[in-house]
Amino acid sequence: MKDSIKPDDLDPVIHERVRLAIVSALAVAAEMSFSEIKATLDLSDGNLSAHATSLQRAGYIEIAKTFKGRRPHTTMRLTRAGQKAFSDYVETLRRVIDKGK
Amino acid sequence: MDHDEAQVRMQEIQRIMERATLWTILPGTSAIIGGAMVLVGCLVSCLMFRSIDSPDFTLIDFASLLDLSLNAQIAFCVMWFLIGIGAIGAEIHFAQLQAKKQGIAPKGRSAKLAFFSLTPSVVVAMVLTVRFLVPVELHPREVQYIAPVWMMLYGTGVYTAGLFSVRAPRTLGMVFIAIGVASINFFQQYGVITTALSFGLLHIAFGLYVIRKRRAGLPR
Repeated sequence: MKDSIKPDDLDPVIHERVRLAIVSALAVAAEMSFSEIKATLDLSDGNLSAHATSLQRAGYIEIAKTFKGRRPHTTMRLTRAGQKAFSDYVETLRRVIDKGK
Repeated sequence: MDHDEAQVRMQEIQRIMERATLWTILPGTSAIIGGAMVLVGCLVSCLMFRSIDSPDFTLIDFASLLDLSLNAQIAFCVMWFLIGIGAIGAEIHFAQLQAKKQGIAPKGRSAKLAFFSLTPSVVVAMVLTVRFLVPVELHPREVQYIAPVWMMLYGTGVYTAGLFSVRAPRTLGMVFIAIGVASINFFQQYGVITTALSFGLLHIAFGLYVIRKRRAGLPR
């Protein structure tokens, strides 16, 4: 197809659906708690945890673990690298959509 | 990746961003403030109706307005107008503060969607209110319709705004509509009570729910 792009053009870390959803949510909020993201995206604890770790390893998000009273409180935020990767990904999508018009 | 897949991905990204944005700027504090203002308004209305020297009036029926002096009627309308303006002002102010705190554009797409969802309902409610109040010969039934009409139309607006967000605003909208329907059919003469329950206590409960859930996690 003339408007298709190669798999190499897309960041494989962000291209995965759940990770893309996490990054999309973090792109509009400076910081979100683990439970906020979990409920926004309807994810299980394990699923969110696994994908968040992948994003953290790639350097796209920062995970901070603190305590609120006696309860553990985990927050996530997008790093600069994560913001860039997300905007690059969205830009690629736009290019494909524009070409197909 | 082809055009269709890219478009689906893009729509998914937009949906998630809107969902996250509207939730993050949903202010619980302003709902509590607005609810408290309405409760005060209901209390003042009762106090105004107490001064009426007529066997027909009741403290909890907005139709008692017809037995007030012209000046008192004007004061009554101005008071409720100011309560409405104050509640909307608080909503905008706290939503902006919340957005600033979260690093989000306060006039972003989600805020605009919420605004444009609510505006038509509020405008229609205002037109109907004027229509009910303007006739020289006021009828008690028409005055009694004002509160339920506001409940139903406000509920419709909140429900529509909630379509772009989490479930909580949609539930609030549906409860408003339900109270409005019950009120216009069965409890017209209890307008002060149903207003206190809906615009007052329901808003306060919703505000507390939002604050509590934001601390613990996001409502669906």
